[in-house]
Amino acid sequence: MVGKQGRVTGRIGPGLVGEVMITIRGGSEAFYAYPSIPDEEIPVGAVVVVVEYFPPRTVYVAKALL
Amino acid sequence: MSPELYIIGGGVLVAVVVVILLFKAVWRVAEPNEALIISGLGARRRGEGVDSLGFKIVTGKGSAVMPGFQTARRLRLDTRAANLQVSCVTQQGIPVHIRGVVIYKVGDDFVSIANAARRFLDQQDFMTSAIHELFTGHLRSIIGNLTIEDLILNRERLTSETRASAADEMSKLGLVVDSLQIQEIDDETGYIVNLGKPHAAKVAATARIAQAQRDQEATEAEQVAAANMAAARRDARIKEASYQAEIDRAQATSRQAGPLSEATARQEVVVQETRAAELEAQLAEQRLQSQVRKPADAKAYETVTLSQAERDARIAQAEAEARETELRAAAQASQVKQAAAAEAEAVRLRGEAAGAATKITGEAEAQAAQARGLAGAAAAKALGLAEAEAAQAKGLAEAQAISARAQALKENQEAVIAQQLAEQWPQIVEAGAKAFGGVDHMVVLNGAQGVEEMLAKALTLGGTGLGLARALLNGTGPNGSNSENGVKSAESRE
Repeated sequence: MVGKQGRVTGRIGPGLVGEVMITIRGGSEAFYAYPSIPDEEIPVGAVVVVVEYFPPRTVYVAKALL
Repeated sequence: MSPELYIIGGGVLVAVVVVILLFKAVWRVAEPNEALIISGLGARRRGEGVDSLGFKIVTGKGSAVMPGFQTARRLRLDTRAANLQVSCVTQQGIPVHIRGVVIYKVGDDFVSIANAARRFLDQQDFMTSAIHELFTGHLRSIIGNLTIEDLILNRERLTSETRASAADEMSKLGLVVDSLQIQEIDDETGYIVNLGKPHAAKVAATARIAQAQRDQEATEAEQVAAANMAAARRDARIKEASYQAEIDRAQATSRQAGPLSEATARQEVVVQETRAAELEAQLAEQRLQSQVRKPADAKAYETVTLSQAERDARIAQAEAEARETELRAAAQASQVKQAAAAEAEAVRLRGEAAGAATKITGEAEAQAAQARGLAGAAAAKALGLAEAEAAQAKGLAEAQAISARAQALKENQEAVIAQQLAEQWPQIVEAGAKAFGGVDHMVVLNGAQGVEEMLAKALTLGGTGLGLARALLNGTGPNGSNSENGVKSAESRE
């Protein structure tokens, strides 16, 4: 999971539970996302990289360096 | 072929069939939408150690399951839907009834499948009611934090709130929410309707304004079009009218051509007839002239001439007669003169003779007359004496009568007058008739009545004389002495 890239579908920020869609197991799945850098806000549509994975469906993400 | 071979072949076939049946009984395949949960002997995965689940999860492939030692259960991974019906209160305290649907599934990773399998494997149909309860509670809390405007307009906020509140629990249950939809918001207080009203009114107003403007433009365009149409119609009518007038004129002209020519012809006929009538009149006049006037003139001329001739003849005759008379007179005169001369001679001679005779006769007669005069004188003397006596007696009688009449006059004048009138009436009438005596030719205008009037007038004239006499009588009557005079005058007249 870690290192995979995904797209934000629910806004990520402090006090929020964001959502990212990550391509995995031949499909795409939604994961609950939190910012890896505290208080960072990531808008919907941004591409993020999974930094941490907490099973079953929680990831910490950072903005992808595109 | 030997019977052994058949047996061997049959045995092999049976063996194959048996093997297939065994394999079918042992080998289980997981469909794409399900996960095989294999538990039992040897189901623990290698390398997982103490931490292992104690069951094996197979997805998307097959796995041998030893009957009796292992069991394989299927956990459906496909989508499930739970209908939500929540009566709750929004942030503004407005009670709303919300109907929604949550679409979820078991997560595709082994952790989620393990969690879900542990919780729902034998009661997968219960999953929906559990989710319903879970999301009902979560929605209540979420909607309590939201306003109706957010509910309607800010779906992102709803989903994010839902995620925030339900994320941990869904992770615990091994479920993934694919979608949460609010299908219906029943607003008992009419908040939403009222919320929409200003906008609706604005939109309606805008729509009406736009419609009015469009109407106005359309009406203006229509009016312009109508005006143009009217103008075009007017022009067309004017043109039509002028053309019609031309047609009418032409028709009238053509219609009148016949009567006109007829009238012209008739006029000529009339002229000719008039000429003919004039000629006839002239002819008649000429005929009259020749038949009536000329004869009349001739007759008149004849008459005049005849009368003139007659007159001349009469004149001539008269002259001739006069001449003749004159001549005759002259002749007579000469004849008379001669006769007179002769007669004078004769008379002279006769006179001489007569004188002589007369002288003798006179002498004789003088003697006779002397004698006769003597006798007459004696007779007259006697007669005069007698008459004088008679007159004396008569005068006395008259005097007595007059005195008596005077006496009577004193007593009854009128009666006397009447009597006198009666006595004098013949003389009066005679006096009146004397007026007519001089008239030898009287024209009486009014016939018998005129004669009567004339006589009456004459009699009146006589009457006036009578009246005068009466007045005289009246004037003398009262004295009484006049009667004496009358008597005297009567006597003196005697």
